This record gives sequence, C-alpha cells and structure tokens, in this order.
Amino acid sequence: MAEEQKQAQAPGGAPRREGGSGGHGGPRREGGPGGGGPGGPGGRPRGKRQYFRKKKVCKFCVEKMDFIDYKRADILSQFVQERGKILPRRMTGVCSRHQRWLGVAIKRARNIALMPFAGSAAGTQAPRPVAAVEAPKA
Amino acid sequence: MEERLYDLIFIARPATPEEEIKKVLSGIEHTCAEKGGKIEKTEHWGTRKLAYRVAKHREGIYVYQQIRTNHGELIAELERRLRVQDVVIKYLTVRLDEDLKRQKKLMGKREQRAARRPRRTPPAPPAAPEQTAAAS
Repeated sequence: MAEEQKQAQAPGGAPRREGGSGGHGGPRREGGPGGGGPGGPGGRPRGKRQYFRKKKVCKFCVEKMDFIDYKRADILSQFVQERGKILPRRMTGVCSRHQRWLGVAIKRARNIALMPFAGSAAGTQAPRPVAAVEAPKA
Repeated sequence: MEERLYDLIFIARPATPEEEIKKVLSGIEHTCAEKGGKIEKTEHWGTRKLAYRVAKHREGIYVYQQIRTNHGELIAELERRLRVQDVVIKYLTVRLDEDLKRQKKLMGKREQRAARRPRRTPPAPPAAPEQTAAAS
C-alpha cells in the first residue's frame, strides 16, 4: 500500500492548488490501493487533474517487442510488486496489448517457479532455516 | 497436423548428480525419436533459486529444451514420463509456435510501416536506417 502510493506520486510534480476549498485541515483520503490519491491536503481526486503527471509510454512498444518471453524473469520482474502481484497498467504505462501478453508471460513464469505467486514469500526474503537443510541463522 | 514448436522446461532436485539428469534427457530423446519429434535446442541453466518452495526445495537445476513435432501425443507422453521421474520436481510445456507466428506477422507489419513513413517526411534522421534495413 505504502509503496503503491509512493509510486503513484513519484511521477507527479507538486500538487497545484487552485482555490482550495478543502476547508478544515482533515485531508480526505480516498486512498484505495492505487487509487492515485494525491497526498497533499486539499488535492481532490475528483474533477480536474490538479497536479501534473508525466506521460508514461509503453516500454515494450518503445523497444518494439512483439513477443514477451516468459523465460526472461529479469524483464518480467519490473512489472510486478515485490511480492509478485502484477502491477496495473496505470502504474507502469504499458499499453493494453502488451499488458495482456505480459500477464500471460508472468503466469507462465510463475508456473515454473521463475516468478513468485502473489501471496507466497518474496524471493528477496532470507530463507528461513528449514529442518536442518539450510544453514542455521547467522 | 502442422508442425508445432514447444518449450519444455523441467526442474531437477538441487543435489541431483549429472548422470541422473543425463538419464532424464536421454529418456526424453528416446520418446521423441519414438513418436516423431525433434529436439531443436537444449540449454542447461544450472542451479537457480526458485521463486517459491517446490517439494521442500528452494533451488533447483533447470533444463530447457525446444521440441518440434507433428504429434500432440508426444507432449502428453513426455509429461507423463516427467511426472513419474523422481528427480524431476517440476516441469512445464508451452506451445510456442502461435506466439512466434504472431510475432512474425507484427514484425512484417512494422517493417511495412517503416518503409512507408520516410516518404511522407523525407528529413527524418532516426527513420533513415530503418528504411535501408527494410529495403535490403
């Protein structure tokens, strides 16, 4: 959640305020996961966009990839969260066609343990000692 | 049935000796020869970390193969054999030719477009190498 919001905000500049009728200090957050809720108080998600967001372009279109290989986990891992959830298009800027192929590729990679399923432990996590198979914790 | 291209990946237990893997590979080869298939490519990826635990292992030995065949039963047979192998903890077969066909089609389209575009806007430095590539 926290990192999603960070990502959503990162491309945007400072939220521009025009005639802030936000009133009393309590910033109303419509913070669904990835709702793109602007962090600043007074920034309203409804109506006109009040902050600048950089236009994202599809990475696969730029590189002219017509086929997304499920074996390239290094590429695929740029489009998932740490724990393996596939990132939505609105975060990564991938076009709809490539997102569709990307989803298929990630699912295939998951099947052969190149990528984690969402919910399973992240690969970056230190392996827990499992019944004396692994080395004991340092 | 037209010819089809398949990917076959299997993961062996991390502590599997080399001969055991060779045995599995020769078994695959044998089945291919029997049912009419051709192994196009064999790659040993070596020991890799698994993204999640498989059969209580956190890493495994990956072997990747590409198989071209006319007979779908070959894949079914290979999968059945891999399933009963003790050293193989996971396998995956993917049909690839349809994706590759689509890729070819799109690449052809793109080249056509690239060939057409420079005529409209002659002074386009980035498009120029593309044009020559498409023309040749």
